[in-house]
Amino acid sequence: MRRYGPRVFRVASRFFRQRSLVEEAAQEVFLKAFSELGSYEGRGSLEGWLTRIATNICLNLVRSSKRRPELTVSDLTEDQTSWLENKLAANAGEHHHAVERSLVAADLAGKVLQTLTPDDQLVLTMIDGEDASVKDVAETTGWSESKVKVQAFRARRRMREAVEKLLRPRRVNNKAAIDTVR
Amino acid sequence: MRNEHIIDLIENSPMAAISEAELTRIRAHVADCSPCEQAFAAAQVSAVLLKEGAAESFEPSPFFQTRVLATLRERQSASEWSWARMWRATGALASSMLAVVVAIAVLTFAAPSVSNESEVSLAGNGYSAEEVILNQDGSEDQVTDAQVLNSLYEADEEK
Repeated sequence: MRRYGPRVFRVASRFFRQRSLVEEAAQEVFLKAFSELGSYEGRGSLEGWLTRIATNICLNLVRSSKRRPELTVSDLTEDQTSWLENKLAANAGEHHHAVERSLVAADLAGKVLQTLTPDDQLVLTMIDGEDASVKDVAETTGWSESKVKVQAFRARRRMREAVEKLLRPRRVNNKAAIDTVR
Repeated sequence: MRNEHIIDLIENSPMAAISEAELTRIRAHVADCSPCEQAFAAAQVSAVLLKEGAAESFEPSPFFQTRVLATLRERQSASEWSWARMWRATGALASSMLAVVVAIAVLTFAAPSVSNESEVSLAGNGYSAEEVILNQDGSEDQVTDAQVLNSLYEADEEK
């Protein structure tokens, strides 16, 4: 458990933003792993086997929890609003590495991801967030590689649309401010 | 390129995987296309959010292992307890079924013999139903002719 705990926690952190939920999911993973240890045939790595169990358990837990239908600007905290405004004003490629900003962004990411399906969350977090390959996702989920690609394409679109809704009022405000200055 | 929207291009692969040449084409397009410019900005923000979100992960707390092992023991004992309970329930069910079978057997084989005995004892007292109903010439209730005549004459004398 000491050896694979961090890995299982990392998988659970893809789905949950609260420590208590991550721990709960990780606990279920180890309990299931203990009860099904006999079914591990030793073909792949134990870590891979645990990762698959963790992914399936987390997907099921997220599926059973209520999904946020839509994220609106009023759901954002002041920090998150400010982060979005800065992001919009700043150079698009620039990354802010300040710890506080990262935490705000991580929370905001969690909020946006909650509006997506569990499958979308998983594929986006793994491919776009962790730079995992399509093959890695296919192995972890048991999906075909073409399914992973299609899922990722659609998930990116849904995430972009959700973010665009949050950015729209800010773009209008920014434009109005620029027009006033002119 | 001006008339070719770049939305599919930005959704085909992660933002980090878009080549410099593709980025140049995208920038050239979004300069004149407002919807694509908005989509591109949102895609860039999404990419940053996903990176920041993935960078944050939780580490197991020092008590995590103890808690998991305690829960494991708890579940194992609960499962053993439920098996024991099931066995007890099965035993109770089996013994009650056996009791019912015995009761039915007793009623079937023992009860008819009891009713036969009562019939026999009724037959042994010497009376039959016909005798009880039709036996109306008992001597104790019989009135003699002389007594009838006496009572008639007494009534006339009184008049």
